[in-house]
Amino acid sequence: MKSFAALMPFKRTALPVASMTLALGALSLPAVAAIVPQGVTLAVKQELVRNNGSEVETLDPALVESVGAANLGRDLFEGLTVTNGDGAVEPGAAEKWEQKDPTTWIFHLRKNARWSNGQNVTASDFVYGCQRFIDPKMASPYGNVFGPFLLNGAEIVAGKKPASALGVRAIDALTLEVRTAGPVPFLPELMSNPNLGPVHRATVEKYGRDWTKPGNLVSNGPFQLKDWQVNSKLVLAKNPNYWDKEHVQLTQVTYLPVEDENTDVKLFQSGDNDMTYQMPTGSYAKYRQQFPNDTRNSLILGTRYYSFNNRDPLLKDVRVRKALSMVIDRDLLAQRVTADGQTPMYGLMPKGVSGADVSNYEWASWPMDKRVAEAKKLLEQAGVKPGTKLRFAMNTSDYNKKMAIFAASEWKTKLGLATDIESMEFKVLLKKRHDGDYQIARNGWVADYNDATTFLQLVECKSTQNDNFNCNPKADALIAQASETTDQTKRKQLLTDAAKLVMDDYPLLPLLQYGLPRLVKSYVGGYSLKNPMDHYGSKDLYIVKH
Amino acid sequence: MKSASLSATLEKAVAGRSPWQDARARFLRNKAAVVSLALLAIITLACIAGPWLLPNQFDSADWNAMSVPPTFAHWHLFGTDETGRDLFVRCLIGGRVSLMIGALATLTSVTLGIVWGAVAGFIGGRVDNAMMRFVDMMYAIPYLLIAILMVTLLGREFYLVVLTITVFSWMDMARVVRGQTLAIRSKEYVEAARAIGVPTRRIIVRHVVPNLLGIVAIYTTVTVPGVILTESVLSFLGLGVQEPMTSWGVLIQDGVGVMESAPWILLFPAALLSITLYCINFVGDGLRDALDPKDR
Amino acid sequence: MWSYTLRRVLLTLPTLLIVVTVCYLLLHATPGGPFDGERKVSAEVLANLQAKYHLGEPLWKQYLLYLDGLLHGDLGASFRYADWSVNELVLRALPVSLAIGGVSMALAIVIGVLLGVAAALRRNSIADYALMLVSNAGNAFPSFVIGPVLILVFAIALKWLPAGGWNDFDPRYMALPVALLVMINVATVGRVTRASLIEVMNTPYIRTARAKGLAMHTIVLRHALKPTLIPVVSVIGPLAIQSITAAVVTESVFSLPGIGKLIVNGAANRDYTLVLGLVVLVTVVAVLLNLLVDLAYAWLDPKIRY
Repeated sequence: MKSFAALMPFKRTALPVASMTLALGALSLPAVAAIVPQGVTLAVKQELVRNNGSEVETLDPALVESVGAANLGRDLFEGLTVTNGDGAVEPGAAEKWEQKDPTTWIFHLRKNARWSNGQNVTASDFVYGCQRFIDPKMASPYGNVFGPFLLNGAEIVAGKKPASALGVRAIDALTLEVRTAGPVPFLPELMSNPNLGPVHRATVEKYGRDWTKPGNLVSNGPFQLKDWQVNSKLVLAKNPNYWDKEHVQLTQVTYLPVEDENTDVKLFQSGDNDMTYQMPTGSYAKYRQQFPNDTRNSLILGTRYYSFNNRDPLLKDVRVRKALSMVIDRDLLAQRVTADGQTPMYGLMPKGVSGADVSNYEWASWPMDKRVAEAKKLLEQAGVKPGTKLRFAMNTSDYNKKMAIFAASEWKTKLGLATDIESMEFKVLLKKRHDGDYQIARNGWVADYNDATTFLQLVECKSTQNDNFNCNPKADALIAQASETTDQTKRKQLLTDAAKLVMDDYPLLPLLQYGLPRLVKSYVGGYSLKNPMDHYGSKDLYIVKH
Repeated sequence: MKSASLSATLEKAVAGRSPWQDARARFLRNKAAVVSLALLAIITLACIAGPWLLPNQFDSADWNAMSVPPTFAHWHLFGTDETGRDLFVRCLIGGRVSLMIGALATLTSVTLGIVWGAVAGFIGGRVDNAMMRFVDMMYAIPYLLIAILMVTLLGREFYLVVLTITVFSWMDMARVVRGQTLAIRSKEYVEAARAIGVPTRRIIVRHVVPNLLGIVAIYTTVTVPGVILTESVLSFLGLGVQEPMTSWGVLIQDGVGVMESAPWILLFPAALLSITLYCINFVGDGLRDALDPKDR
Repeated sequence: MWSYTLRRVLLTLPTLLIVVTVCYLLLHATPGGPFDGERKVSAEVLANLQAKYHLGEPLWKQYLLYLDGLLHGDLGASFRYADWSVNELVLRALPVSLAIGGVSMALAIVIGVLLGVAAALRRNSIADYALMLVSNAGNAFPSFVIGPVLILVFAIALKWLPAGGWNDFDPRYMALPVALLVMINVATVGRVTRASLIEVMNTPYIRTARAKGLAMHTIVLRHALKPTLIPVVSVIGPLAIQSITAAVVTESVFSLPGIGKLIVNGAANRDYTLVLGLVVLVTVVAVLLNLLVDLAYAWLDPKIRY
């Protein structure tokens, strides 16, 4: 009955570790799909069943928004670049690229990149795909996320310029020029997104909205669409025209749309499912014991936090917000309450994000007694008496409930404040948060791409993702400065400083860094535990003989 | 003298028993119903008085005692839940909510259903048609929307839970009662009564109602579990019990998730709920048997 | 009888219209819209979305647009599932729900009546209590408990059946969900049958038949059964509607692509067109089933006339 409470944000995680993306003259690395280690015997039947968490909203790469749809987007389509299992950028449809100047990149497509119907993938396919994606008539939800990175992108989304003004141009059939609005050091990773990938124009023009149906869909990725029964299953078959098909081991991938986490695990237990979407709340310890070889867990670039309504009369005073943040024992929360491998966070940036350093509050290392004493002092100074009531809003889910009960009990036992926990349906919570009709609310964010700016969006003054309604103009100025710099070290310093500056205002309450525990059968190989964005393309996976 | 005592004895012998005394006697002869009634009384009493008598609080989380199996230590006779709260006390507190809402919401939906169905069935014709088409419409409207809307517009007061549950639960009873009323209305003794001019009100009270009691008793006990479980769905939407308050439905929902690792978290509230529902069923059957006018 | 049936069928249209209008208003009154996501869309994208789906227009205009489509049999495009039209989604979900709901109702009626008759004839004996104990199980335990237990036993421990999913009417995938629904429905059918039969057995003409020395099975089958079934049939109507259109827990636990889940998800996603399309479907199903029940009354009791 809890099947429709969206716990995970419907966010796409787009890009991997940014460490080597500055590729001024990227090497022509042979991109490998599933590298089967020496000595591993493959099973005869290479078929995988994996759960996608819910029925996808679309297969059209321009409109892909949810995590599930992005999984399919990466299996069906291939962008200029791809990210491998460890999150590193590798050549995709483009075999090499170079950066001509801070805002211009040239991508060279490989000659043997083909669509599933045998035709060659050309640069104009990418131009068509990108222009179609950015066109305001498409109304793509990610239009204003990726759009502003490209030249004229923001203006096109706002309707001020035509889509043809986009800074993506075909120099010839195999060469693509991408111009960005400002310096974007992580552009190659950005281009691995299905949103910014190629689309087969003839198919779209022939079938209209039905172009994504089985039998019509033409894709250039490692797989093609075999069958799609809505709410039942979606089946992919290996694409015989994929340029790297020798390295694709799986011949068939079935995606399930199961929302209920318990049902998901039951299907796993009965052998009908090889890879769950997540794990039910509180079950991590149990399943780790029951299925030690099947439990995989890794941290990803995401953060669980509580939003403070900075305009609320009680929370207007930064001392109150600081006090509430100080007394939460995040170690206890991570180890005992959620107990699924997540780690405490005392700042805005999760570990592993590129473009900024992790910086924690100085009191993070204090013993709890000292923190409580200081917090009590702050409350007194702010004039908040014990017995004051706090209002907490969350969407109904066991996970949120457990965390909320913990937070409430911390505030009660340590500061004497009582908390009214209001649980509500997901969309109602979203509306309350966006309208500022709350005092403290449960929130979470997973990176759209691997750069600090995706997290800074949460606290920037006029950002649409800022549910806290806070504003630190100095920090915003630093961020603006960073978006103009080409010096990566300087940029990192600026963004780190900006994050620290804003967080000293205590606009929100950081709690934990997202971990993604799931059950994956031990005979599924190629599942990397270093994947920071939870991008598990089926082309990296294979079935070991069992 | 002898005649006086004789007449006294005779009087006593023919002192009539009212139908209600008859019914009570028949009920008491139904062993299952009697046992069930006793059990229900015990459970209700435990839910009301228990939380005052037990040392543990229903809302005190203990992070060092999460998901502890049943033990005599600290009076955790049912163990603790995932946040370390005593399950025994929570089951009893939850029982208060479930029983109270169960009773109230059942009362209102049953009353509304009976009135609606009986009027429709008895008057018949166009009125019956219109009233029953309204029932058809109510079946089609998705309850989720109504529930969310009610929470948003009216708030989270307790009476609203009862109101919302009633909105979804009265239609079955209405249809059932209408069907039965149709059947009764066409019986010969009702036709006869009408033919000789017995006022409608008298017909309803003396013929229709007693014949409805049976199906009403049965279907009421069918309504109860639905009501209790609908309450847990509503609390999911934020209407009804909110943390830390709980109900059997909510406890059971929480328990299903950890069914294999901490089975007691599901077992105890589910057992309490099912025992209560079984008892209500048997009592309902007993009542039906007892109140049947033809059971002489 | 036929004119009655015809009148009822014709009445479906105004019923539909009223239901659609009410739901339409309800949907738009509920807070949150189809495009409210965790990621707040920018004002420009929102404007584009409104334009694409006509959401910026006044309510009455959108309503008329919708009705116009409805009259042409076009239920519109789903807001959430961009690649599918509502017609496609509804037509794919309906057979699943009909199959599961229909089969379980049929089985539940047979089993429930048998259990109820058997219990009634052995009234107040141990057998009666035992039969009712079994029959009532579906009513005493919530469906979201029975379902997972069934899966644990039959799919995981014994590995006889799959734990869920749908495979084109493959009976192996239908077995457990049907079992769950049968358990739930048998509880009500059984008890009502039992109560009804007891009542009927006490009527004068049955007593006469017994006094005449007729065999019990003749009495039950030939004389008692039809009047017994009237309240049973009343009960079957709502149960059937529920099993076909509102089996959300069953579909969720067993991962079935049916209408119940589609409606709930549609409402949660504020997918206006999908919900309205399903409401149309559910109304038609409810009206038809209730009509069948009403016709059955007339067949069971010849004195009932419309």
